[in-house]
Amino acid sequence: MIAMNKNRTVLLLFLICGLSLASSCSRGSMSTYKKTKPLMDTVVSITVVSGSGAAADQAIDRAFAAIDRFGSLIDFFSDKSELTLINRNAGIKPTVVSPDTADVIEKAVSVSKRSWGAFDATIGPVSRLWDFHEKIRPDDGAIKKYLPLVGYRDIIIDRQKSTVFLRKKGMLMDLGGIAKGYAADLAVDSLRQAGIAAGIVAVAGDIRTFGTKPDGEAWNIGIKNPRQKGESDDVLAEIRLSGKAVSTAGDYERFFIEKGRRYHHLLDPKTGYPAEGCRSVTVIADRGVYSDAFSTAVFILGPEKGMSLLREAGMEGVIVDNNGTIRPTPGLKGRLKIEKNS
Amino acid sequence: MKRILKITTTADRLLFLFLIIASVSGIFISRDALSQASEVSVEINGKQAYALSLDTDRTVALPGPYGNTVVEIRKRRVRVKEAHCPNLICVKQGWISRGVIVCLPNRIVVTVGGGRPPKNIDAITG
Repeated sequence: MIAMNKNRTVLLLFLICGLSLASSCSRGSMSTYKKTKPLMDTVVSITVVSGSGAAADQAIDRAFAAIDRFGSLIDFFSDKSELTLINRNAGIKPTVVSPDTADVIEKAVSVSKRSWGAFDATIGPVSRLWDFHEKIRPDDGAIKKYLPLVGYRDIIIDRQKSTVFLRKKGMLMDLGGIAKGYAADLAVDSLRQAGIAAGIVAVAGDIRTFGTKPDGEAWNIGIKNPRQKGESDDVLAEIRLSGKAVSTAGDYERFFIEKGRRYHHLLDPKTGYPAEGCRSVTVIADRGVYSDAFSTAVFILGPEKGMSLLREAGMEGVIVDNNGTIRPTPGLKGRLKIEKNS
Repeated sequence: MKRILKITTTADRLLFLFLIIASVSGIFISRDALSQASEVSVEINGKQAYALSLDTDRTVALPGPYGNTVVEIRKRRVRVKEAHCPNLICVKQGWISRGVIVCLPNRIVVTVGGGRPPKNIDAITG
């Protein structure tokens, strides 16, 4: 009887050892592969989980190509892009565009409607008056003159004919507040088609996660500290995400300071001036196109109205207001790990 | 030793062996997780041009559409020392010991430590 018990214990121990070895082997067969490339005038990083380096490489390159293709369609500064054609034809005639261009513009209009006009892709006539690198602040007269050309209601989309028309001559559409998130979605679609089940696409700060890491954990995303002083305080908070997109709009991306006042690139479409009230806004959504556009919209609206928008849209997010107070949505409480040194 | 063998059963010995293996693998796992950045990767237009050690001080000149961009490695830190692009954002970024410096006009990406942010963060939004 004792001998039998002993044998059982030995068998049990062998089973424990065998199982731990098997689990370590299965973890070892899947690895993460990462590549970085300058695209869409920014840095794009793609990380995938794959059992083969060659397959990962090929899938990432295809995803980069998808981003590049889309980027060339909506490039505000390129003479050849579809967006430039739409802008040139403003007030003249509708422009035939590819499905992705029509789709991203349609989604931009839908976010404009849902955000009470806080997000507006037709901000172009006013935003081009500002030069944050050269520290050029336009005079009030110029802003007043061009502000009537800002208005998403004058974007006419015909999905049947696949055309886009800006009703007023002089209107300018700039998709900078939505295109990177949309590009991240396109890249994830491409990776999935290539058989990749998990990864991260980061088009600058617009991130889309899918699946989990090889160890089964969700991806750990850091939220940038809007008032970073050194290398050690670059992250304000951390959050674990899987199958979600996350974007941040911040007043530290493009800005200049004049007479103690910060002028940044997130312009309120109603005034033509930088929105006040927030330092940064991070939004979590199912798709990058929405996290990207809603982060801008919430920033423009400010902490109170912005929080209302997040609630109405059913999205989670983190607002860092002008006093540096971190305000997470109720659903993030307990899930957000706030760094001590931020 | 004989005494130990006498007072322990086969199951005990297997358990000890398992615990020793678990402890040793733990050392390797934590060493891997806590490893410091040691490599500097320089990519031009998405293709790796250099893989350099962070431990060796050196200066590398990289050709680009705006002329040479000079990358300097010193005291386990990296910076773009000189560039001729319009904005000079890469130069203004200064020294880094981990992360990425990018010069978009010259399509140069300098990555220290795999570009992975600290504390096991997979990506940073912002």
